[in-house]
Amino acid sequence: MILLDILSKSVWAGIAAIGFAILFNVPRRVIFPIWALGAIGGLIKFTAMYFGYGIVFASFLGATVIGIISIKMAHMRKSPPLVFSIPSVIPMVPGFFAYNMMLGLIALTSIENTEAYLQTLIETVNNGAKAMFILISLGIGVALPMLIMRKESIKKSKLAKAKKTVAG
Amino acid sequence: MKRLKEDAQSAGNILLEVGSLLMSSGASTHRTRLTMERIAKGLGYGIELLITQRALMLTIIEKEQEHFFSRMKRISPHGVNFRMVSGISHLSWNVLEDNWTIAQISDELKRLKSLPHYPRLVVLSLVGLAGAAFCHIFGGGYIEMAVAFVATFAGLFTRQEAHRLKFNPYLCVFFAAFVASLIAGLAEHFKIGLQPDKAVATSVLFLVPGVPLINSVTDLMDGNIQNGMVRAMNGLMIAFSIAMGLFAAKMILNF
Repeated sequence: MILLDILSKSVWAGIAAIGFAILFNVPRRVIFPIWALGAIGGLIKFTAMYFGYGIVFASFLGATVIGIISIKMAHMRKSPPLVFSIPSVIPMVPGFFAYNMMLGLIALTSIENTEAYLQTLIETVNNGAKAMFILISLGIGVALPMLIMRKESIKKSKLAKAKKTVAG
Repeated sequence: MKRLKEDAQSAGNILLEVGSLLMSSGASTHRTRLTMERIAKGLGYGIELLITQRALMLTIIEKEQEHFFSRMKRISPHGVNFRMVSGISHLSWNVLEDNWTIAQISDELKRLKSLPHYPRLVVLSLVGLAGAAFCHIFGGGYIEMAVAFVATFAGLFTRQEAHRLKFNPYLCVFFAAFVASLIAGLAEHFKIGLQPDKAVATSVLFLVPGVPLINSVTDLMDGNIQNGMVRAMNGLMIAFSIAMGLFAAKMILNF
């Protein structure tokens, strides 16, 4: 039952990724890969959360896997990695926590009672911190594989160039 | 040198065009720099670059003759377009490997600019579906998903219309957030569905500034601190506009 829940959430995460992909006007040939990437990212995030990891670390894991696969995809489908990775991680963007933080901030402007104020303040700070750290972990998760692989790709292009000049 | 050098001035202009298209289409600073340097190398020039969010500065140097050409270009924001990013990436490799000329590059740029976007109805329905998907992920049932779909659809429609009427971009986001949360809030007001608050929370998620925020982290990690800060600030402004839209809708509904 929990497995089914995780699977259906992952499939819908992929659909959300497609929505953003269309909004960002991606080439038609990368739509299906983006759905698959979004679903894989969601699957990893929800599975990690099921095994008791926090949402920040789970999002980081999902984003890192998306980052790695999107580099492989970039070679296969001839588009830069960010075309794959950005729409696929957007379903993981902590909109819900950011939304709760904003509501909390709005509520803080009008609460008089000290106890209620403290309670709202605690919840707001908690939601805000979660939103911020999830966002940072998503950005780093997507950027890290590219930073690591970059050395390799520069080497490859230099090699190709050297071969060309020798041949020419 | 194997082939004749193109005129430095037209090379500089085409490079600036490529750079401004990339920056306005949502590429990171590092990618813009890399692509421009790759094209310049393919054309046989060395370049020095200053990339900011709203303007590009380029100096192009002919290696043997001591001439140089310098120009600045404003970047006009167009909205994210990954088809452009992908097309220009192809183009840059073609320049480096197949020795494309400036005329060929400019023809390809013209073709990329004329490529159609997805039909409006397709965009609206798929983004609406994405809203419903968010609602499902956060635990909403089918009725809430339908509410989220309608609210997202109407919100995005509002944003597109506001863009067409050339409103300030943050105002466009404000209007969209207002309409979306008002529709979802009305459903909450009339108690449609079991957890109507989920539909309200997910109806504005399509506005989340994902590209500015993720690019901001990428830029900061690449050491382009200035551009990263500008992008982060832009993302925060958009988030603030969403909050204001929500706030306005809540005020009206609670009145």
